[in-house]
Amino acid sequence: MELLPDFRVATPVSIAAALAAGKRHPGGRFVAGGTDLMVNLRHGIGAPTALIDLRAIPELRGIASGTGGMSIGAAVTLAELAAHPAVAAHYPAVAAAAAAVGAPAHRAAGTVGGNLCLDTRCMFYNRSAWWREANSFCLKHEGDTCHVAPTGKRCHAAFSGDLAPALLVHDAAVEIAGPDGLRRQPLADLYAEDGAAHLRLAPGEFLVRVALPPDPWPSAYAKARARGAIDFPLAGVAVALRRDGDTVAGLRVALTGTNSRPFLLEGTAALLGAAVDAAWRDRLGKLVQKQVLPMRTTLLAAQYRRRVASALAQRLAGALGGAAD
Amino acid sequence: MNVIRNTRDVVGQPTPLIDGIEKVLGQAKYTADLPAGDALVGRILRSPFSHARILRIDTEAARALPGVRAVITGADCAFTYGVLPIAMNEYPMARDVTRYRGEPLAAVAAVDEKTAEQALRLIRLEVEELPGYYTAAEARAPDAVLLHANKPGNLEREVHHRFGDVEAGFAAADLVREQVFHCAEIAHAQMELNGALVDYDAARDHLTIWSTTQVPYYVHLMLARCLEMDMSRIRVVKPFVGGGFGARVEVLNFEIVTALLARAAGSKVKMQLSREETFLTHRGRPDTEVRLKLGMTRTGKLTACAAEVVQRGGAYAGYGVVTILYAGALLQGLYQLPAIAYDGYRVYANLPPCGAMRGHGSVDVRFAFEALLDSMAADAGLDPFAVRRANLLHAPTETMNGLRVESYGLDACLDWVERASGWHDRRGKLGTGRGLGMACSHYVSGAAKPIHWTGEPHAVVHLRLDFDGGITLLTGAADIGQGSSTLMAQAAAEVLGVRLDRIRVVAADSMLTPKDNGSYSSRVTFMVGNATIDAARALRAVLVAAAAERLGAPAEDIDCEHETFRAAGSEGPGLSFADAARAALAREGGAITAKGSFTCPVEFQGGKHKGGAVGATMGFSYAAQVVEVAVDLDTGMVAVERVWVAQDCGFAINPLAVEGQMQGAVWMGMGQAVGEETRYERGLAVHSSLLDYRVPTILDSPPIALHIVESIDPNGPFGAKEASEGALAGFLPALTSAIADAIGLRVDTLPVTPDRLLEALAKRQRERRLARALEGAA
Amino acid sequence: MSAARKRVRALRLNNRPVEVLAADNTLLLDTLRETLGQTGTKRGCDGGECGACTVLIDGTPRLACLTRTQECAGHHVETIEGLAENGRMSRLQRAFHERLGAQCGYCTPGMVMAAEGLLRHTPHPDEAEIRAALGGNICRCTGYVKIIEAVQDAAGTGAEAAP
Repeated sequence: MELLPDFRVATPVSIAAALAAGKRHPGGRFVAGGTDLMVNLRHGIGAPTALIDLRAIPELRGIASGTGGMSIGAAVTLAELAAHPAVAAHYPAVAAAAAAVGAPAHRAAGTVGGNLCLDTRCMFYNRSAWWREANSFCLKHEGDTCHVAPTGKRCHAAFSGDLAPALLVHDAAVEIAGPDGLRRQPLADLYAEDGAAHLRLAPGEFLVRVALPPDPWPSAYAKARARGAIDFPLAGVAVALRRDGDTVAGLRVALTGTNSRPFLLEGTAALLGAAVDAAWRDRLGKLVQKQVLPMRTTLLAAQYRRRVASALAQRLAGALGGAAD
Repeated sequence: MNVIRNTRDVVGQPTPLIDGIEKVLGQAKYTADLPAGDALVGRILRSPFSHARILRIDTEAARALPGVRAVITGADCAFTYGVLPIAMNEYPMARDVTRYRGEPLAAVAAVDEKTAEQALRLIRLEVEELPGYYTAAEARAPDAVLLHANKPGNLEREVHHRFGDVEAGFAAADLVREQVFHCAEIAHAQMELNGALVDYDAARDHLTIWSTTQVPYYVHLMLARCLEMDMSRIRVVKPFVGGGFGARVEVLNFEIVTALLARAAGSKVKMQLSREETFLTHRGRPDTEVRLKLGMTRTGKLTACAAEVVQRGGAYAGYGVVTILYAGALLQGLYQLPAIAYDGYRVYANLPPCGAMRGHGSVDVRFAFEALLDSMAADAGLDPFAVRRANLLHAPTETMNGLRVESYGLDACLDWVERASGWHDRRGKLGTGRGLGMACSHYVSGAAKPIHWTGEPHAVVHLRLDFDGGITLLTGAADIGQGSSTLMAQAAAEVLGVRLDRIRVVAADSMLTPKDNGSYSSRVTFMVGNATIDAARALRAVLVAAAAERLGAPAEDIDCEHETFRAAGSEGPGLSFADAARAALAREGGAITAKGSFTCPVEFQGGKHKGGAVGATMGFSYAAQVVEVAVDLDTGMVAVERVWVAQDCGFAINPLAVEGQMQGAVWMGMGQAVGEETRYERGLAVHSSLLDYRVPTILDSPPIALHIVESIDPNGPFGAKEASEGALAGFLPALTSAIADAIGLRVDTLPVTPDRLLEALAKRQRERRLARALEGAA
Repeated sequence: MSAARKRVRALRLNNRPVEVLAADNTLLLDTLRETLGQTGTKRGCDGGECGACTVLIDGTPRLACLTRTQECAGHHVETIEGLAENGRMSRLQRAFHERLGAQCGYCTPGMVMAAEGLLRHTPHPDEAEIRAALGGNICRCTGYVKIIEAVQDAAGTGAEAAP
């Protein structure tokens, strides 16, 4: 059992105040539900001098939907998101992904912003201070070797948030507040393939809202995990698929748990215009297998995560594509 | 015969636990909940090395830190401890050599948590690293450095047992199969974290410990040894304990370390281990490889068995000798086996020490046995139930290794699960991906020979009656949630003919309660239950004598039912319990203490061969179960959909608790079968959280239908035997049998995690492709 | 490291206003157990993995081991100690007791609070809803069978008396 570091908590009630707090506490961290951060802090990973709790800021709250699509506050809890009727009706992958996170008490505390900005995970990283020191630390934190790939130069910790792929297949954009004001960008651009620096957020920046465009395609999310609750995804797959008659007119596939970032599958255009049959699913499966990069960051085998990501993508696309076979 | 009344008012009735109300109200005080006042905080410095010679531990800076009250190291205790007198080779904190990552090296007591942790960081270690061995094979390599100088080959114990003519047995078989099975090491993962509170009274040199233990007496013994204290200066109290499953059936290092700290500080010290440290304290089921060979006739009769078992026991002895002996001994006692060869190897490795875990020693071997039997049945075209029935024992009997079987309800267990599961209508007919499997298992009701031979009875219970008419049952037995206190109260109330709530149980406080060896090997129901009956009979005789005098009838004519004493055939109002109690108190000269005891007769204490005492018991429980699975071929996930289990527990003194124990045992077997395993990276535990050690959640857990078979054991209390371990082992082979039914794949490695299953399916695919290609080429 | 400054936090605990001194980095679990002596709420893991510390915050199950006391200021925290009615077991507690939903009892407070949160929101849950609501609460003794029966019993949705 390790003690939490000595930090002060700020609870700004406006974006401006939050930005100011960020400036005042350069060694601080933004926090919302804290379901991931508090565990890491208890393990001695990081010692922020301040936590800036963003949940009291009105702009980060609430879910709004209208003709322009849907707007989700970064401080909306995963439980709220999963239970929102319009989300479930129009963006089913998003509701399913939110409902797949952890267990009920995690979802009651955990937020959209927190899940999107979740730290990457690795069996050599999410450990106690005693453990990490006994293992000479690691490239991601306090050390200089990645125990997953000791000859490499990068950290392979895996992004393990459920929500990101579901939002990616719905072409989500994020609104980010920072010292230079508000900016908006595709969610995909928030991430980089580097386990030690997977978020493209400048110091002092935080997520404000997520925007989902209108007229969403039918979608679904599936998560491979060893147990029915609590676990992070070994692989998580979201698929959005638009049909035109019997053929696929639009397809987006996104993955989590396999790489240091959640990402949209590339090359899906080649699968358009065809009906979803066994051969089509096989091509999709191979595409997934080629692009996922699971490494030995979990106790279950990396090869398994590759296989199951592919299998789940095929299963979801098959169901959405109305596979006849 | 212990069936002593015709009517059973209290025993046999489903009875909520007498200490259950505190639990649901949140009032139950576990060790960490006890008011500790201004107790110092204890913390342990754990070895970051797998195997190293300790050159120096510099504690100067830690001692100098303000707020630090004591710093101790291995130098402060030169006494080994251990549960088996013949195998005590562990120090509370390592001296000279540290042998696993996580072993205590030093400890600190300080005014608060933060100071204690700061002090740990100030301790400097100087060591010379030695090679670390993490598998049994590495440790057994000819050039391996010895973990313990007196154990060549890093072998803690070798066992070679031969019973009957094994060669002739195999020669007589129509079918002989040999296969290797592997079960990963697992942990108890009891919900309550390890911890202790020790109050050392420096003025009187008196020490009190409250600890998370199943064996207060063994804690007492080892504290006296390691602290060189007279036992009368030590008091051991077991508060509420949040599960054990064998994790706490020997004294654990943190208990001795906390006591040493408290004495060094001359104060009270509270030690609360983290979940990671609780995993590092370990004592779980060892990683086990079983090479098994069985011979069978074409009608399914077993002719011979040869088993070679290798257990990776970790860095110290613990219960290891017993575990490797159990693994061989409990091959027997379930079926007729005319010839057996057993070779067991318990191996040291640079990992946290293993120990006893529910189904101690028997589980992994039973998995191998039943799994091989299942596949041989399939090869022979026999129904798995028919194969079991072809090999049933007939009680009373004695096995070749000297195990006595006095009651045997396995046949009734088989009948029920076969019928309830719809076996014959459903097996093989559930479609791809769904299947049914079955298996059997058994377990002892207490080890017939105690670890320490003191000449005392195996169990002692006191009943105390005073002016208020309440009956206080004093027992050393540790209720850790299994319901032993309730069971004893029921037994006493039944014999005395009084209401259950007239009995109040005071348990496991060495200052008040008679010694008990502890809650392990399912000994409490059988042994302490019998001692309770004995004590209750003694108290009853006193009450009856007094009542007889008052009623003017001969004592042998008096009975007590529903708290009223009456002479046989009398129509009068009789004598109330309160009046009888008053009369007895007057007659006996005040407060009455009745004593009861129980000792296993020597003829039950096992065969004459070396190690023959292990496995010997007065009563075996028997279980059969059917498991239904759904296998997802895309994800490799095995969903356990339903379980049907029947167990012969002799007699269910508390059917509610028996049900809970059976369900818990089956479910724990499921955890081992589908997901639980310890994992180490160069000796560092990577399973040491409840995220990485995958205890099944409620979403992964099936409905478990059950049936209690009552074979009425001639020696058990009211005919009862154990109920909490026997059904565990059967789950593992029943699961792999069900997977075979579902997808035609026979799994020989546990746990069947989804990655292993998909890999096995991919391998089968490759082999089939290869076979087709070869066929095409031919 | 300097000792973190403690401040007074006003919250409601089991329907009563309380004021406690707690630093910004103090966890609710420690405030309940160490400061307030309410030890019914248990610690079973090193952070968010077992559910033993489940309490209700404004009626919703939350993990006290991941919640800062400071977050609870102005909110209603309910623990296992608050369920009893005049010292008597609530219907849910009684069901856990009588159905043997508690064996060793260590997961029980968290399990009961998670179930309480469910029943307030969904008074007559089906089995799937019960399983979903208790997904984060690990029990090592029961195999969960009798826990489900206990919740069904309390909700009046169970089968008639168990065989």
